[in-house]
Amino acid sequence: MSDGSSSPSTAGHTPGGPDVPAAASGAPRSLAEALRARDDASLAALLRARPDLLAPVPGDLTQLATRAGTRASVVRALERLDRFALQTAEALAVAPDPCPYGILAGLMTGDHGPDGQPGATDVLAALPGAVAALRDQALLWGDDERLRLVRTARELLTPTASRPSPTGLGPTVAEATAGMSPGRLQEIVATAGLPATHDPVSAVAALTSLFTDRDRMSALLDRAPAEAHQLLGRLVWGPPYGEVTANPAPPVRWLRDHGLLLPVSARTVVLPREVALHLRGGRAHRVPEPVAPPVPAVHEHRPQLVDANAAGQALAAVGTVEELLSSWEDTGPLVLRAGGVAVRDLKRTAAVLDTDEATAVFWIELCFGAGLLAGDGEADERYAPTPAYDDWLELPPQDRWAALAAAWLPATRTGALVGEQDAKGRTLSALGPGLDRSAAPEVRHRVLSLLADLPPGGAPDHGALLARLAWEHPTRTPSDLRPRLADWTLIEAERLGVTGRGALSTHGRALLRAGTRAADDTPAPGTVADPGTTAAAAVPAARPETPGPEGAHPHPEPPHAPTPAESAAAAAAEAAALLGPLLPEPVDHVLLQADLTAVAPGPLVRELADTLAVLADVESKGGATVYRFTPGSVRRALDSGRTAADLQAFLAEHSRTPVPQPLGYLIDDVARRHGHLRVGAATSYVRCDDDSVLGEILADKRSAGLGLRRLAPTVLASTADPAALLAGLRSLGYAPAAESATGDVLVARAAAHRTPPRTAPAPVPDGPPVPDGTLLGAAVRAIRAGDLAATAVRKEPAAPSTPLAPGELPRTSAAETLATVQAAALTGSAVWIGYVNAEGAASQRVIAPVRVEGGFVTGYDHTSDEVRTYALHRITGVAELAEDQV
Amino acid sequence: MRTRTAGRVEGISVNGPLIVQSDKTLLLEVDHELADACRRAIAPFAELERAPEHIHTYRVTPLGLWNARAAGHDAEQVVDALVEYSRYPVPHALLVDVAETMARYGRLTLSKHPTHGLVLTSTDRPVLEEILRSKRVTPLVGARIDADTVAVHPSERGQIKQTLLKLGWPAEDLAGYVDGEAHPIDLAEDGWSLRPYQRQAVDGFWHGGSGVVVLPCGAGKTLVGAGAMAEAKATTLILVTNTVSARQWKHELVKRTSLTEDEIGEYSGTRKEIRPVTIATYQVLTTKRKGIYPHLELFDSRDWGLIVYDEVHLLPAPVFKFTADLQARRRLGLTATLVREDGRESDVFSLIGPKRFDAPWKEIEAQGYIAPADCVEVRVNLTESERLAYATAETEEKYRFCATTATKRKVTEALVRRHRGEQTLVIGQYIDQLDELGAHLDAPVIKGETSNAQREKLFDAFREGEINVLVVSKVANFSIDLPEATVAIQVSGTFGSRQEEAQRLGRVLRPKADGHEARFYSVVARDTIDQDFAAHRQRFLAEQGYAYRIMDADELLSEG
Repeated sequence: MSDGSSSPSTAGHTPGGPDVPAAASGAPRSLAEALRARDDASLAALLRARPDLLAPVPGDLTQLATRAGTRASVVRALERLDRFALQTAEALAVAPDPCPYGILAGLMTGDHGPDGQPGATDVLAALPGAVAALRDQALLWGDDERLRLVRTARELLTPTASRPSPTGLGPTVAEATAGMSPGRLQEIVATAGLPATHDPVSAVAALTSLFTDRDRMSALLDRAPAEAHQLLGRLVWGPPYGEVTANPAPPVRWLRDHGLLLPVSARTVVLPREVALHLRGGRAHRVPEPVAPPVPAVHEHRPQLVDANAAGQALAAVGTVEELLSSWEDTGPLVLRAGGVAVRDLKRTAAVLDTDEATAVFWIELCFGAGLLAGDGEADERYAPTPAYDDWLELPPQDRWAALAAAWLPATRTGALVGEQDAKGRTLSALGPGLDRSAAPEVRHRVLSLLADLPPGGAPDHGALLARLAWEHPTRTPSDLRPRLADWTLIEAERLGVTGRGALSTHGRALLRAGTRAADDTPAPGTVADPGTTAAAAVPAARPETPGPEGAHPHPEPPHAPTPAESAAAAAAEAAALLGPLLPEPVDHVLLQADLTAVAPGPLVRELADTLAVLADVESKGGATVYRFTPGSVRRALDSGRTAADLQAFLAEHSRTPVPQPLGYLIDDVARRHGHLRVGAATSYVRCDDDSVLGEILADKRSAGLGLRRLAPTVLASTADPAALLAGLRSLGYAPAAESATGDVLVARAAAHRTPPRTAPAPVPDGPPVPDGTLLGAAVRAIRAGDLAATAVRKEPAAPSTPLAPGELPRTSAAETLATVQAAALTGSAVWIGYVNAEGAASQRVIAPVRVEGGFVTGYDHTSDEVRTYALHRITGVAELAEDQV
Repeated sequence: MRTRTAGRVEGISVNGPLIVQSDKTLLLEVDHELADACRRAIAPFAELERAPEHIHTYRVTPLGLWNARAAGHDAEQVVDALVEYSRYPVPHALLVDVAETMARYGRLTLSKHPTHGLVLTSTDRPVLEEILRSKRVTPLVGARIDADTVAVHPSERGQIKQTLLKLGWPAEDLAGYVDGEAHPIDLAEDGWSLRPYQRQAVDGFWHGGSGVVVLPCGAGKTLVGAGAMAEAKATTLILVTNTVSARQWKHELVKRTSLTEDEIGEYSGTRKEIRPVTIATYQVLTTKRKGIYPHLELFDSRDWGLIVYDEVHLLPAPVFKFTADLQARRRLGLTATLVREDGRESDVFSLIGPKRFDAPWKEIEAQGYIAPADCVEVRVNLTESERLAYATAETEEKYRFCATTATKRKVTEALVRRHRGEQTLVIGQYIDQLDELGAHLDAPVIKGETSNAQREKLFDAFREGEINVLVVSKVANFSIDLPEATVAIQVSGTFGSRQEEAQRLGRVLRPKADGHEARFYSVVARDTIDQDFAAHRQRFLAEQGYAYRIMDADELLSEG
């Protein structure tokens, strides 16, 4: 853009000589040099913050710098900046390159310095922190006199017509007049009252210096008509583009004639950046936001109340999961061909759970995430509980809850999306594909951390919480899920009993502690995006002390630190231990009443609950359970093999109150009629009018294998199938005839259905995992060693760094080729390669590498529109593509 | 199976009497020391649904919450009451729902406008827009007066309240009541006074403006009516179920108030008197002649200050319709059993008014104002031939058949013999059966065709003790005051009617002079549809805490 260079080399780095240690004295001249000057800890911090740079471990610092400048990596890093760091980067992108710190500060606070606007002091206080953060992230290099944004970042953040910047600034005079005829330029220079010059370059320079000179500019604007000021006022904070008619009004014409509006196309004009900055008093941002918005507690509940509420909800959650899975164990819903649960089944399940569909999806996905539920893998695939569910059922309730919560915390599957459509217009279904959202765990973790920062029992204001998250992680596209993910986190945490009345519970806090510990090592890039690292440096008061930001300290972890999985498990156990005492004691009795109901005044011990569930219908659930005895329910109990006496004894044993007489009568009355009719299963039968023949068959020892039984004098029933029975009788010497098979009924009781063993789905984190301390240390050492090797002795002449002429093949060193292609394979972006085939013919191709291994790169070839494999040694060189070329 | 490590959390009511269920029912443990305090705290907004012996069930309904709002309670109080007495943490969603539901009340108000008459005003414009777009509201409203106000046809005041309630935006009625034509009425409290609960009921009604009072049979609902009249001091129209009941009202009013015979008129099939206090029967009001109800004019014949509906659960549909148009007059509904088998309880609430007072039967019994009752279901084994005949009977004849078997008659006779000397009522549905029983027991039979004079004569003889046994049909279901009856034997009924069962029990609940227990027998044929109906009939009473004892008829017959 601004420099218009098509050089394939990346920001700040020119391969070869210039950045050899010779530069050690004085300011660094490239990013690689700047990196080389850093200490190991600071390099480790960079790699921790941008783990994508580590895959694979770069050979030397030059390679590291190259990779840090790739577009995909820079985008990733920019996305993880908090709002003020991003605002700083945006200001740098509209500032001259390189930019002295003073100018940057001016852009952030305006011409009048700290007194110019309220909050300017905060800005000045926070700015060094933001610059340091950008520098740590290798987005910025150079000393304070020569701050340089990495070129890719500059390109990404500099406003263009197609991609306006949040600063609302337009192009510079030089950029906006690039295509303008010299004659037109002369007219503008003349109208603005500047000395005439025939050289367009000096004309632009004169115009620029006029626009940046506050006094002369004010004088010029004083002459402008009043309407022109209004027009400028509309464009000043952006968007800077305006539509004009073919024959514009006088004020517009005045502005255009003086170059205060420059034409972009026939109908569009733009306010040049210098003019806008003058009108804004030098500020790049209307509202700089140096301080993270505070998240105050708007409700302060008693912590005990919060814990009790959360515990109640936790118990309900465990109960709901059990209810859900037990309702799916006979015949679970069919797995759709595309995966997932049909809407009809979802509705049915929601009805069973007595909730709405969105909530039902949450529970279903929770079970799936916890590995309690899976497809059974059979021909007509159905969802069913896994064997892990049986193990889970054996756990005490607090451990059952902890298992669910531990599965929820890092899950990337986002059930709340169910019912929406994916990019291809397909409706997302519960348990179906396409639900993974890699940002989910990070947002979840961050929301809960913010809750944890509040005093115990404090519940935040929803809006303030979202504002804080938006500050920490500015959303760049409207489709950004983050605010919605935050919403869902709050809802789900409440549902699951992690929070109670909107405040984090004690057991939720324990769960999170591990999350925090693990976040240093696991994907949750909370620490990467952790605004504490930038904001805390400058505005310590804005952030209460938490154990969280340890991750920001550039000290490698002790090598024997527990793995993330271990610390998560430890935290879950701790949370369970805290939750346990909060759960109501299970009761071992019920109250029987004469209106044929039984009330269990609390959660029942399991055996009692199981039996009662058969003997009576549940009428109301909650802290207590109300059961109603009906003839149907009593019959069900009798069907399950219990006798009336058993039931009476059971009730007498478990009731705190005498068994009411009507209940006793109900059981006896049903029992009296129960079993009057008998139904059995027979596969076939033999009938014969002569009952002596049947007697003869029964008496024959050889007929034992046929499972014959006499039902009536003239009828035998058999467990053998008709064909086997016929064959058997024939072998006994009889001549039986088959009857048309009507009326014999097969009764089979379906067993509780289980899938084969299944593992829970692994969360799908975004990008590579954050490396642990050991790896980081090793990586830094390796890079240093490689760097030394690459820069120590240089026999061969340095590769030419001249820009490529059109049509010329890109040329890069083998190491660089490999690094770039690997980076492209990781990020899925396309590169431009020069390739010499086996016949020696050279060609240029644009490929999107997919796999790099064994000296070959496999990728999608945009040039020939197919997937091809190229030998690495035949690639002459490689260059990244500008985005719009793909 | 579980190990527990720590004690309970302090500061939380871990052992309250109330359990809040996720389906918005509240379970109250009756024997808990805080049970009474809790009952008082939740009574304003929760409906008592069941009151068996150990755990009472209340239900939180939108209607109940709105009534609480109307009575001046706010969501904070409701939430506090739930949280304070709850044994377990109250589901947060339920608390939120309570607050949201209560916030819907009062966004719309009905009031009198000095120039436009009755108007509906909203403090929340979108709500007004929403309801005005409803097809059911459109015909009830007039011109839009301004952005927040719309005129309402005065005659549709009841209808629009009912409709808005169904739409979930209950209107607060601030339009007030007409005072009616003043007429001095006072209670003549000489040697007696209103019982505490009657006084509470009267106060509750009077402060609420209109509404329903639910009291058990025999608990003195007439006096609540009289008390309300003494508050209103205005001309009163009393609607009752039948003529005998009308006479009893008149008798009671003359005895208990300053009213004289001449001030009380009877408006029935036989007499058409309109006096300052007029007692009319539902039957005469709903008599239809040439497609119109000629007697509905009674409502307009005087400027009534109070309308009392006795046995409001029986309110017939045409009266319903007309009641909707009487919203400017104070209305008092009296009943023992607000269960309608047609499920129109909510219409009663929206047209007469919300429930202003409700006392569980057992509570009144504990205070000694109604007699304790021993309810017994006598199960009769049918003979083989009866069972066969029952099995082959037509479906629609089945109940009649099993309810009127000869075995049942024998058991009934045995029961009457058992209670020889006590005042006994035999109550049944089928006239043939009753006639037969009357003949066997040598007792007079009162049925629909018995003249009013004859009925009163027999009732008087029964009260005086000249007759011990009376066989009655369903004419005696309601409002027949027979204080001395101590035993009731029900041989058949109107299928599974719960309120009939309760009303019949009510016949024997007047407190006895010697304080002894009343007996209520229900004779039921085992293993027949009769038994199923009986189970359904008993539900209301079982939920009120009357535990039915079951007795085998064979035991009874064998004892002699």
